[in-house]
Amino acid sequence: MRVLESWVSGPLSRFLTESSARMVLLMTSSGQVVAQHGFTRSVDVMSAAALGAGIMASTGEMARLMGSPHFGALVHQGSEQGMLLCGFDTPRGRWIGLVAFGPETSVGLVQLFFQQFVDEITAAAPPAEVHGPVLAENFEHELNASLRALFGR
Amino acid sequence: MSLVNFTAREITCKIVYYGPGRSGKTTNLQYVFGRVPETRRGRMVSLATHGDRTLFFDFLPIDLGTISGFSTRFQLYTVPGQSYYNATRKLVLQGADGVVFVADSQARRFDDNLESLQNLQENLLEQGVDVRQMPIVFQYNKQDLPRDLVLAREDLDDALNFRGAESFSADALHGSGVFETLKGVSELVLRKLAVGSVPA
Repeated sequence: MRVLESWVSGPLSRFLTESSARMVLLMTSSGQVVAQHGFTRSVDVMSAAALGAGIMASTGEMARLMGSPHFGALVHQGSEQGMLLCGFDTPRGRWIGLVAFGPETSVGLVQLFFQQFVDEITAAAPPAEVHGPVLAENFEHELNASLRALFGR
Repeated sequence: MSLVNFTAREITCKIVYYGPGRSGKTTNLQYVFGRVPETRRGRMVSLATHGDRTLFFDFLPIDLGTISGFSTRFQLYTVPGQSYYNATRKLVLQGADGVVFVADSQARRFDDNLESLQNLQENLLEQGVDVRQMPIVFQYNKQDLPRDLVLAREDLDDALNFRGAESFSADALHGSGVFETLKGVSELVLRKLAVGSVPA
């Protein structure tokens, strides 16, 4: 399990244990990864987050066109595994949860425990911290070296 | 907004390639995908039509390596260029840290470039973002075409780049200018996270 901020760890661990979910991905509404469990490559996590955020964004837009409020959750049921995609508001903004689960659990249990998880992290979220500058002023040298190496130049 | 993980010392930034249809946004990402080693990039996700026109977005995550002690990753997105896909463009633009405006240098696409740039400004404004605060670079693509078909970089700068942002001539199909464009927008995006940075 990898989390961006430590206060997410406890509730996420409990959710994983109780729901028997295989993979979990928490992301912001613009597709930035907040926490994940079960993915092996960080770059694949980012792809999953981009797609998950895209699905939620387009579904939200569909709801708007139909004059409905946000759809709360989407469920896709496959033959081997299912997926729950759910948007929720936190003190840190709107987040999206993507949960993959197998036949060892059910969509109902996953939804039930996910709602508990949402309630827990909403209550646990501390105010956003204010940080100073992140990078050194002369970061360009390292950036240029990294990009040249990436492009084989 | 860039996501900074101080515990794991990671930075993730979202860069959106914007511009009119068929200007070469997807081609930019395809070139980057082809050049960057597999260990440093993810799969390129393309939500496209059967005719390979971008329907929702293309997405390519790349791992830049360590900068100032932070493992730095960029998420590169394209938007669908055709005017009737504006709803999806708005969705992809959400949370962008930087924009590459890919203009088609052909003289006959002049109005399309202007329309797309205006659309970018409107969509950013709708999200409460002033285009003057958004790190942006211009790429004038297809400069490899015969001179009588394309506008010169200076003419395109005059027409589109009235705020004097950095601009690059490119032939994205063969890779010319793609690296320089990515480098240009990367510097602007990361500058916002750097010591001594000042608002644009």
